[in-house]
Amino acid sequence: MLSTLQPPRSLTLLPFRRFHGSKTIASLASSSPTLDASSVSPPQSQILTTRRSLLSGETTASEIAKSYLSRIRLTEPQLKCFLHVSENVLKEAQEIDQRISRGEEVGPLAGVVIGVKDNICTEGMPSTAASRILEHYRPPFDATAVKKIKEMGGIVVGKTNMDEFGMGSTTEASAFQVTANPWDLTRVPGGSSGGSAAAVAANQCMVSLGSDTGGSVRQPASFCGVVGLKPTYGRVSRFGLMAYASSLDVIGCFGSTVADAGMLLHAVSGYDRFDSTSSKQDVPEFESQFLSMDSFESKPLKGVRVGLIRETLEEGVDSGVRSATQEAASHLEALGCLVTEVSLPSFSLGLPAYYVIASSESSSNLSRYDGVRYGNQVMADELNKLYDCSRGQGFGGEVKMRILMGTYALSAGYYDAYYKRAQQVRTLIRKDFKAALDHNDILISPAAPSAAYKIGEKKDDPLAMYAGDIMTVNVNLAGLPAIVLPCGLVEGGPSGLPVGLQMIGAAFDEETLLKVGHIFEQTLNGSGFVPPTLPNVA
Amino acid sequence: MATRALLAVLSASPPRMIRIKVSTFPSSSSSSSIKFQRHITIARCFSSDTNPSVLQPPDVSRLAETARISLTPSEIEECGAKIRQVIDWFGQLQQVDVSSVEPAIRAEMEGGNLREDAPETFENRESIRASIPSFDEVYLKVPKVLNKE
Repeated sequence: MLSTLQPPRSLTLLPFRRFHGSKTIASLASSSPTLDASSVSPPQSQILTTRRSLLSGETTASEIAKSYLSRIRLTEPQLKCFLHVSENVLKEAQEIDQRISRGEEVGPLAGVVIGVKDNICTEGMPSTAASRILEHYRPPFDATAVKKIKEMGGIVVGKTNMDEFGMGSTTEASAFQVTANPWDLTRVPGGSSGGSAAAVAANQCMVSLGSDTGGSVRQPASFCGVVGLKPTYGRVSRFGLMAYASSLDVIGCFGSTVADAGMLLHAVSGYDRFDSTSSKQDVPEFESQFLSMDSFESKPLKGVRVGLIRETLEEGVDSGVRSATQEAASHLEALGCLVTEVSLPSFSLGLPAYYVIASSESSSNLSRYDGVRYGNQVMADELNKLYDCSRGQGFGGEVKMRILMGTYALSAGYYDAYYKRAQQVRTLIRKDFKAALDHNDILISPAAPSAAYKIGEKKDDPLAMYAGDIMTVNVNLAGLPAIVLPCGLVEGGPSGLPVGLQMIGAAFDEETLLKVGHIFEQTLNGSGFVPPTLPNVA
Repeated sequence: MATRALLAVLSASPPRMIRIKVSTFPSSSSSSSIKFQRHITIARCFSSDTNPSVLQPPDVSRLAETARISLTPSEIEECGAKIRQVIDWFGQLQQVDVSSVEPAIRAEMEGGNLREDAPETFENRESIRASIPSFDEVYLKVPKVLNKE
């Protein structure tokens, strides 16, 4: 099916170097200025670095905040990652500095500059989900995830651009602006959390929150060369996340390292009485997994069973992506993992099942936007006309289309044929994942069938766009956790385009994903995935 | 919004209930007989044992009316083509043998996480009020609800 929806492109894997002592798999003579292993050390956690430098007095939260605001001013005209930048950043940073100077305790995220996707409510700050219908809307409360970040000293720097209500895979479906990929400004950053991913890639913030209904954290992480973490369904409260498809939505985390994404996840996780689907399972202390490279043994992942999902490397996947994934599997083997192929027979059914379920749930969830209680209202002489016009003028094309498709799928007499059947397919997918994870600790696959493509390339072809979600939607249908981290580059742009590796774990076992992901990242020589067009913050 | 509540009823109810609900829906009063007939037809074809070969293609104008979204003629044309394309693609699900497979409404999760159903006072009421496009004292203000006829 993929082959009919997404014609394969021929891309060659750019050379990159591997971790010390590993046998090289492909031609590895480096020609890329961004991946010259001799000049790149393993990526360091920005959260831990910030914590250390603040507590040692090496720098202040105000200085850090100023440098990020300056960076945003410099790069935002090209990138357009943010829909809103907070006016309170410096004030909040100064408060942290004052606490430190008074010898008071500060939270574990003190001074950490955080971007928040615009469909996550922030009190008093615009939260529009990139939709005209919510233009100028300022929620009266913080989402639980945001509340936790603030309580731990994190500084919300602004609201990031996205596909309207999370419906899209490129961030082109924002009602306000198109975000560019920092690796190549003519390409999309992925979506729907494209602003959050691009902002971290371009160092406009240290970490960010996104949301992932069918891959909206993982695919943009792959396109932008950052780490994207989608937790188990229920791990993070959805209170304050504008609902798209409630049975699939999760809040996820972006960082430039696995450790940063993991520590942000730890901060926002846990049961919340405002979300009955949030879990009471304990949240482990992930930080202990992020050991320094010096402490690694020669085979630090000895005995970890890894299943490479066969169906994700078949026809329709770019050759460069396939090679990068196979190289990543070899790298895991070199680290001590036992890698075998696994098959998920229901894999290809996930995509249509996902779109039936997501559209159906969205048609119900988005009924709340009626122009009466908040958001933009189009005045009319009769109530139904007010609804019709407020929604007609407030929603963009893709949102209207999905609401209508969902309305169709839920229509009388069609329910069994579409919605119920899609939920039965979800059962099959869950069973397949369970069987595969009974014999493996994690599963791996590409994060997307290709690297970032050109802006406008798939905008008018919904099926081509949807096909790009094939690697990620099944994970949402099963409610499992997954992490995407950069594993190589393919040709394209000024100096290559990043490719992400997806690791999928058992429910509530983010710990294993973070452990394996961290060691993979730290040992992948030349893993400084810094976009070539944008210099680092001084 | 009333439309959506109605839709939930529509999707979960037997055909006879659907006919009653549709015929009492205010906005459809001018053309209720046409819709009434259409729903009967659908219900006959697909009420329990779905036969994929007779699933009707989407009528975008009617869907837009049900979903309470005004569309321009060009939007109906453009959106309609795309929706039909995607619905066709959904059709592959009809080929899957799911007999005796239980539907999964969401990921597996623990139950019993419901909080006590007790009212609480939300402190930031002024902020909620500030978001309301039009209100009069303690009331949300909307145009008249009933149809002219």
